Amino acid sequence: MSLLAVTRLEWRRLLVRPLAWVLAALTLGWLGWNFTLLLGSFLAGQIQRAALPDGPGFTDLVAVPLLGQLAQLAFLVVPLLSMSVIAGERRNGTLPLLFAAGVPASRIVLGKYLAVLGWLLLWLALTLTMPLVLAHATHLDWGKLTSATVGLVLMLAALAAIGVACSSFASHPAIAAAGALIATLALWEVNLGAQMAGMNGGAINWLAMSTHLQPLLRGLVSSADIVWFVLLIVLALALATRRLGADRERG
Amino acid sequence: MTSITPASPKTVLQLDLLSRRRAGRQAVQDLSLALRSGEVMGLLGVNGAGKSTTLSMIAGALRPDSGGIRLNGEDFLEHPELARTLIGWLPERAPVWAELTVNEHLDAHGRLRGLNGSALRAARSAIIERLELQPLARRLAGVLSQGQRQRLGLACALLHRPALLVLDEPANALDPVQVAGLRALIREQAAAGTAVILSTHLLAEVTAVCDRVAILHEGTLRHDGPVHADDHATLEKTFFEIAMNGSHQPARAA
Repeated sequence: MSLLAVTRLEWRRLLVRPLAWVLAALTLGWLGWNFTLLLGSFLAGQIQRAALPDGPGFTDLVAVPLLGQLAQLAFLVVPLLSMSVIAGERRNGTLPLLFAAGVPASRIVLGKYLAVLGWLLLWLALTLTMPLVLAHATHLDWGKLTSATVGLVLMLAALAAIGVACSSFASHPAIAAAGALIATLALWEVNLGAQMAGMNGGAINWLAMSTHLQPLLRGLVSSADIVWFVLLIVLALALATRRLGADRERG
Repeated sequence: MTSITPASPKTVLQLDLLSRRRAGRQAVQDLSLALRSGEVMGLLGVNGAGKSTTLSMIAGALRPDSGGIRLNGEDFLEHPELARTLIGWLPERAPVWAELTVNEHLDAHGRLRGLNGSALRAARSAIIERLELQPLARRLAGVLSQGQRQRLGLACALLHRPALLVLDEPANALDPVQVAGLRALIREQAAAGTAVILSTHLLAEVTAVCDRVAILHEGTLRHDGPVHADDHATLEKTFFEIAMNGSHQPARAA
């Protein structure tokens, strides 16, 4: 019950702040414009591709690239959206109100995380409506689209967890946003050197988020990739809970 | 300081050798006291005496380093969830979620305290009416004056009808009319059986509403005794003796 109360409170705070609406409007506008460009390019090349027996279709050329662009935007959107969830409360002095309501640190963290994740899933759903409105007029590869959507859900969930964790460690929301952005970029590009050296395996590649997202965007669902995302989410939320618990101890 | 006897059925709050370090110094040390239902206790002390730290620990916002807190006979440190229904807390400066309206604040606090649906709506209406918050109900908390925030914080603390009301400087930023209203409200809560502990700098506040007064100095309890409405001069003398010398000499019987 207290988990739901925290989620509702955070959800309400997200909805009444201009930041969430501005981010949604700007990013959806950008994605809509890119969808139009991708669609135009797809339609222009339709005749040439008709000659290819197994050529790329609407899903490969429009839907998945659109989700790829959402993934890139998420690098900036998620840190901005999650930066105040705990750091803002700490700064305003409202965090003790939650402690004094007898809500454990784990539920505060989880409640806030679910609110941010809810907003991100709504954002993803609105983006998905763009290719889906053309489902009746084109041939959608539902398997590939589902796999890419699962990948995006996992990525957004992981970024939200990192954002909440950074917010729990920071005293100012801007520091939390910067921390989350750096952590996300580091996690994305941790294997850049290895890739440049021609290494495609090993621990360093396993650590990188791109290693686990790319197969999902290509339609390959692997339990190892899903487990990687789940582990990252659990680790980030556990760190946030630990930090918040220490807040209560330290005062 | 000696340990106090086990809680009687009417004891709402019992502190047992409570200690807490804060900002590199001993903020509260070996504090023991008990509060019964319907009793109003004033917590006095100069700045930095440990009043707010004590109240934060009682409210569950801060864990003590050592010692025990019992609420209605149950170990509060073992069961922090007791705070949800038993305690109403008005922190110093009444922090608010600036982007929420007064109504939304009350709803959020109610849900955090386990109220929902019609029970929440009824509690919200009752407290809005009692604290005359109707004109502010749809206003954002961020634009309220400090006195209005204080009233909102008080409404949030009272919304779920707690057994223990913890008020940290409740008269802060209130005008004289509102202070009179606050005093009436505290007496009303006490008459209904709520135990109230309040910290204040105002001795007149203590003589006006409190049954007992505890004086803290450098984190330790230096005085705990009854207070009467006509005791202002005695209380003032005790307070200043403790503030200046750290202790006071009780008056000898003739």
